[in-house]
Amino acid sequence: MSTALLQELHQEVRRLYIAGSDLAAEDFRLKRLLPQFEQLGERAAVFKKLGEGVAALIRPSAAGEDLPAVKLQDLTLLLESVLYTQGSTVPSGDAPVQLQGSSFGLETKISSRKIAAVRLALTTTGSGRYETVLEAFKDGVFQDLRLLPLAVSALGDPYAELADFAMNKIVPSYGPAVADYLVGHFNPAGGKSEVRKLHVIKAAGRPELLEVIFKAAGSGSDDVRAAAILCLAGQQEYVQALLEWTADKKKPIREAAYTALAEGGSAEGLERLYEAFAGKKDRELAAFALAKWPSAPLGERLSVKFMEELKEALAADHKDSKKNDTLWNVISLYLIALTDIRNPQLDEIFRYIIEEYDRFAALGWLHLLDRAAQYEETAQSEQGLELLRELDNKSVRYLSYYFRAAQQLLTTKELYNEFAGGSMLDKMKARLAKDAATRNRVLQETLEEQILNAERVFYELSWDYAGSRQQYVWEMLSLDRIAAEWDPRWLDWAIERDAPELVSALARPGHSGVQEYLLAKLNREGKHRKDLDFMSSLFKGLERAGFTDTERQELLISVLEQHKFSNPYSIHFYLLELMLGFPPSYAERIAAVVPKYRYESKNQLEYLVTYLRSKQQVT
Amino acid sequence: MPELTSSYVDSLAPNTAAIKNGQGLVRKKSFIQLHRTENGELLFGQCAGSGKTPYECSADFVAPDSPVFRCSCPSRQFPCKHALGLLYAYVEGQTFTVAPVPEDIAAKREKAEKREENKVKQAAEGSTAKPKKVNKAALKKKITAQLEGLDLLEKLVLSLIRGGLSVIDAKTLKTVQEHVKQLGNYYLSGAQIELRRFALQLGKGEDREQGYTYAVQQLTRLHAFIKKGRSYLTARSEDPELALDHESTIDEWLGHAWQLTELKDYGLTAENTELLQLSFYSYDDQARQEFVDLGYWLELSSGAVHKTLQYRPYKAAKLMREEDSFFDVARVPLLYKYPGDMNARVRYEEMSPRPATAADLAQVQAYAHRSFAEAVKLVKNQLKNPLGDKQPVLLLHAASIGVNGQGEYVLSDESGVQLVLEDIPSLSQGTVGLLPYLPPVCFGKCSLLVMFEHQMDRGRLAAQPLSIIHAEGITRLL
Repeated sequence: MSTALLQELHQEVRRLYIAGSDLAAEDFRLKRLLPQFEQLGERAAVFKKLGEGVAALIRPSAAGEDLPAVKLQDLTLLLESVLYTQGSTVPSGDAPVQLQGSSFGLETKISSRKIAAVRLALTTTGSGRYETVLEAFKDGVFQDLRLLPLAVSALGDPYAELADFAMNKIVPSYGPAVADYLVGHFNPAGGKSEVRKLHVIKAAGRPELLEVIFKAAGSGSDDVRAAAILCLAGQQEYVQALLEWTADKKKPIREAAYTALAEGGSAEGLERLYEAFAGKKDRELAAFALAKWPSAPLGERLSVKFMEELKEALAADHKDSKKNDTLWNVISLYLIALTDIRNPQLDEIFRYIIEEYDRFAALGWLHLLDRAAQYEETAQSEQGLELLRELDNKSVRYLSYYFRAAQQLLTTKELYNEFAGGSMLDKMKARLAKDAATRNRVLQETLEEQILNAERVFYELSWDYAGSRQQYVWEMLSLDRIAAEWDPRWLDWAIERDAPELVSALARPGHSGVQEYLLAKLNREGKHRKDLDFMSSLFKGLERAGFTDTERQELLISVLEQHKFSNPYSIHFYLLELMLGFPPSYAERIAAVVPKYRYESKNQLEYLVTYLRSKQQVT
Repeated sequence: MPELTSSYVDSLAPNTAAIKNGQGLVRKKSFIQLHRTENGELLFGQCAGSGKTPYECSADFVAPDSPVFRCSCPSRQFPCKHALGLLYAYVEGQTFTVAPVPEDIAAKREKAEKREENKVKQAAEGSTAKPKKVNKAALKKKITAQLEGLDLLEKLVLSLIRGGLSVIDAKTLKTVQEHVKQLGNYYLSGAQIELRRFALQLGKGEDREQGYTYAVQQLTRLHAFIKKGRSYLTARSEDPELALDHESTIDEWLGHAWQLTELKDYGLTAENTELLQLSFYSYDDQARQEFVDLGYWLELSSGAVHKTLQYRPYKAAKLMREEDSFFDVARVPLLYKYPGDMNARVRYEEMSPRPATAADLAQVQAYAHRSFAEAVKLVKNQLKNPLGDKQPVLLLHAASIGVNGQGEYVLSDESGVQLVLEDIPSLSQGTVGLLPYLPPVCFGKCSLLVMFEHQMDRGRLAAQPLSIIHAEGITRLL
């Protein structure tokens, strides 16, 4: 049967459907096909019938006859029925090669409902997708072959956290075999999703795939090239290529090449980085590459150069502020390139900088001085401490550096004596000094930095409906560390300074005054302070100062009832834990205040009420 | 009481959200009391809700095969999250204290027993159920309305063809949608769906050129339906005693929803059959405005591939149970078969599961078509019927599955006849892309469940694999 002719006729009737059946009369294309149908019709009845249909369609309709639209429908219905029997199923290509199966070892045993939920999450947008995927991954749903393509396409998800989760967890969970799949579906001209694919391919760690990465590095989109170049770091056979790419026209490519060379640490690579640094054009790129991957030998060479340029810069003319800025820009890159480097040459440079404090300060190069102070702070040496003392004398800005350096070298007692102690006379003198207020403030801040928000404490979010997640908060130093690292006299110092949070952290039972101080704070300031962390600190302080659980619970419920929190978003976990220890009989008292609260704090209090009520029933 | 596992509880849940919420209650420790009876047949407890009084929920396993869940919460989902949570708590191994059966549940059990007894009594007494009286006048009125509706539909279709598809714009589509609504007044729900499908094919906008071919097919389908429907209805209006046509699908096209009793009356049932699910998926059918849960099952005694369909209308989707894959063999005492083509729709009211065995899998292999030439002939015979199911599903025995230089996946039978496997447009998910990543066991002695579809533009009959049945089990691709 002449399928081609039938197909042609189908094209023509399709055209008429699109253009409108009224145009069928006298249609010359159909007219041209008609003789062939008539000819074939002599042998096959079907063609004859089709021929008649065509003839009827192109005849101008006479009165009483069917509309052209009906004739078109009749013809097409018959034609389609014929065509349905002519569908070809044979391949157009050559002989097939038998499929062997892959080493993935993935099955398809997960139930449709579970798959559908993940599919929906990964193919639509909307809230809650990330949780669905996370949960599904935890339950092993992704170990189903049907989700493999979706997991890979999730690498390009518009929600970056989801894409990263796919890159770091889901896709690698398929094992090294997934690298082949990714190579097969890799599009070097693509964007972020392809970059993520490269990361997974690289992480699979199969040397035979480096060639693919190398190709992408040469001929992909800019994003892909940069990522691929980074993946080639440390591969000896590609060093030459990396060296060439440092001369690329595009900055992101050069940047990636320098970073890869710095990571690889080969001799040629380091030489190239040194040249780039000396050449000024790519000095910035080389500096950032070295900051990421420091190299000691190159650091030494750069240090020598640093000293030279620093001296030159100091000697140069600084009257023009523009020139001064240019000089600073050149020098500051040394600080970046040498971020993690420490060597005798640098020791000398930073000593020189501190000794020349006045001149550098005059230029406004405070950042340079800060770096010097930082360098000495971490040096843990007597000389370093001496230099910092000198700096501190020049400017209160360096008090905190000096304090931290001293902390490493002195005992807790000596430390207190050095910064807050001394004879009565010294204290009087200190108080009279003109920067006394500033000094005290800086000292307090330095202490707070170290003592408050110093430790991560984990809490179970038992009231949280969504799942048993843990959350951590930063809290004050633990009691043991306070006792070991801080002189007890700091507590008096803090009370004198009226620093309630520090007092809370440093509080200890048996101290005269601390209990009274904290209670006063609770009663006075609690009414105004909105900060919840502050309230929780105070209650920690009360605990440390030796108040019993019952006493603290009594205080806490009175705080709740007096509504001193002034609408917090959520109640601090520490306080909630304390509340969970309430006697069950408090349930109604809390239920009475719940309506005053909103947001998360309301949920927490509602949970608390349920919890206490259930305890009530048990007892 | 059946052994409770978390996967069993999962399978009871109406949807995945209910699973999550039920587990959430356990995690949240919302259960205030957990009890069980001495014999373990009844689990009950109290669960805190948002109100002051907790909900009383229970799971009654007095009839182990059909557990009863009760809860005092107002949820319309069944079982509700509280009952599921109760079971999850039990599975997790939380302590359930022994307690006597609460009064209200004892009362409810008694009532249920009485109901059962009554049913048995009624069945025994009234085995000769009253023959259903047909209201002839009403039927006549309905048929006349349907005929009028067909005229209306024809008028619309012809006017669309007259003007041409290219001039159909948003305004015309709106008229079409109005007609869709009107057809509801003429008892033509089947036609309503097909007309809406036509509107959707043209409404998508972006790729109209491709949509045209499907739209033309849909128009001829409507044409065939109008012709056949009209002659069928005319015949019925002349002879109101005429029974429903239980051999073709025309009644379904006209919007008739077959009732199980009707199917039974026409003898469209099979007793004591066993079904094995070969493939299952859910999709959103916008023309029906329903979610559809579609399963393909092999009847182990006859080798026929049936399908189960569950429609979940958008509006009720949240409250209805979402069907799921079924991995056991379903033993069905009474199977109802709808009129239809190769893959007739089936339904059952009761079934009990048994694990699938190697013998079952061997049976599947034995039923697979060994000659592709014959299989394709069967398919084409069905396709050429204008009102036939255009996506027939068949089980094919594979001598080899390979890929050629053009990237075509090729299935061959024992005599070397080849069939190209490719993704078909009417399935929203592709499967052939997965073939190279399947485990080696899939390419040994195996059979494939494939769905056929004719692609008019290309003149090709495409086949998409849905599942591969091999020695170790069924690998579902969809």
